[in-house]
Amino acid sequence: MTVTVEPEVFRFVEFDNAMIAEVGNKLAAQLGIDRPIVVRVDETTPLGRVRATIGDTIEVTVESGAFEDSKRPRRQSEVATTINLGRILLRVRDRLHGGFGEAPLDDDIALAQMAAWETYCAGRLSRLGLRINRQRWLYNFRNRHGFSDKADAAFDAVWAADSLTWVQLEAISDAAVAVPSSA
Amino acid sequence: MRKFFPVEELARDSRFTQINMRQAQADPRTALVGPNAARRAKTNRLTPSRPDASEAARALMHGIFVGEIQALEGAGRTCHDFETATGSNSAAGTETDSVPFALKLDMARQAWDESRHVEISVKLGEWMGAEIGQFAENTVLFEAACSTDPVMRLAGVNRALEGLAIDVFTTMKEFGEVAGDPFLGFCEDWMLADEVTHVKMGSDWLRKVTENDPERRARALEFQSIVDKLFSFGGTRSESSDSPIGLARRFRELAGFTSDEVDEIADVSLAALEDRKAFAAAAMSSSGMSSSGMAADE
Repeated sequence: MTVTVEPEVFRFVEFDNAMIAEVGNKLAAQLGIDRPIVVRVDETTPLGRVRATIGDTIEVTVESGAFEDSKRPRRQSEVATTINLGRILLRVRDRLHGGFGEAPLDDDIALAQMAAWETYCAGRLSRLGLRINRQRWLYNFRNRHGFSDKADAAFDAVWAADSLTWVQLEAISDAAVAVPSSA
Repeated sequence: MRKFFPVEELARDSRFTQINMRQAQADPRTALVGPNAARRAKTNRLTPSRPDASEAARALMHGIFVGEIQALEGAGRTCHDFETATGSNSAAGTETDSVPFALKLDMARQAWDESRHVEISVKLGEWMGAEIGQFAENTVLFEAACSTDPVMRLAGVNRALEGLAIDVFTTMKEFGEVAGDPFLGFCEDWMLADEVTHVKMGSDWLRKVTENDPERRARALEFQSIVDKLFSFGGTRSESSDSPIGLARRFRELAGFTSDEVDEIADVSLAALEDRKAFAAAAMSSSGMSSSGMAADE
């Protein structure tokens, strides 16, 4: 499947349209995504949110911070591009193929549940060979589920999983959140 | 040992990438206008309820870490760069190339504090999943510590930038407490106590050294105002809800700022925020975008 990227030429940042398309095509092949993908980069903001809309074509909207080299403002990082595009495409794949039919729309997902889903994605990306900072995702999981042994155990379970459904993921997240942070 | 060390030659290993304030300001992007601005939260404050809270906290923690390194370097340089005042000048250090011995002692104590803060910041960064050098290092703090007049350093570093540190630590402390982080709020609170002392040192010595030199004091306060304005570009610190770091008024008062001075800093920060919005809107207009984010010809 073909990945197209907009805009063709960037004005606010020094990004490479072709490199984003190449990374996207490689990820789509690795993840088995069989629909065309359009990646639209909002280069007017340094924030880093990434969203996707699934239709006949998968439309991915990316704020420029998501593909940026955090050491060199306005320059692109291939690693960040791969990881952040990989995260959203994994969530797309989950919705298309992976038992996530019951998952709410992204905007309606609670922060804790989204942290669990992101952990699930990051764990799988690390096993695809991407350099993922596990502690980064553990900290995010703890911020959303509490700083407790039970939350850490839930994180470990989600991180190591390869075939969770939304119902299973939601149950793990909800059980971890229910534990007081002092436990 | 060499005196008056230039910012370009600060010792850093290959993990670090440095940018100066001018480079940071050259970035025309802003979160406040643009295609998705209306969808974003109305406040830019660092709170756990922000979807990107963990990322924002990690980046801020790294900013604290490199700021501590530069504060250590700046305080150390002030101990060494100036002669110890002698004779009739010994108490106040009225010449610009000398400082009282007691001021050097305060700077030495500050260097000791900052080195401890560096170690704490490294540990907190690891805890939050950041890596040393993961983010660009803005060298503005050490740049403010390069003045050849020690009074300027006190105004620019101790009063302006260490004052900013008070605001940042307060924000991080509250973030850690709300999130239930067992270490973050505790560590920030301890560092905050030191920063209040550093700002007070700056305020006390500024008044003492310039007691009989109103022109020098005025220049130093002007320098402080400029540093405040520079660091507030983009409104990072104003009392507007667009600002990520609220002014910690009470702590600033404890550190020796008057209420009028705190008000003035808030006004300057708000003006900088409005400047940045106008700048971003103009940049987008010249590229064919309207501030609502729709292409102008649509």
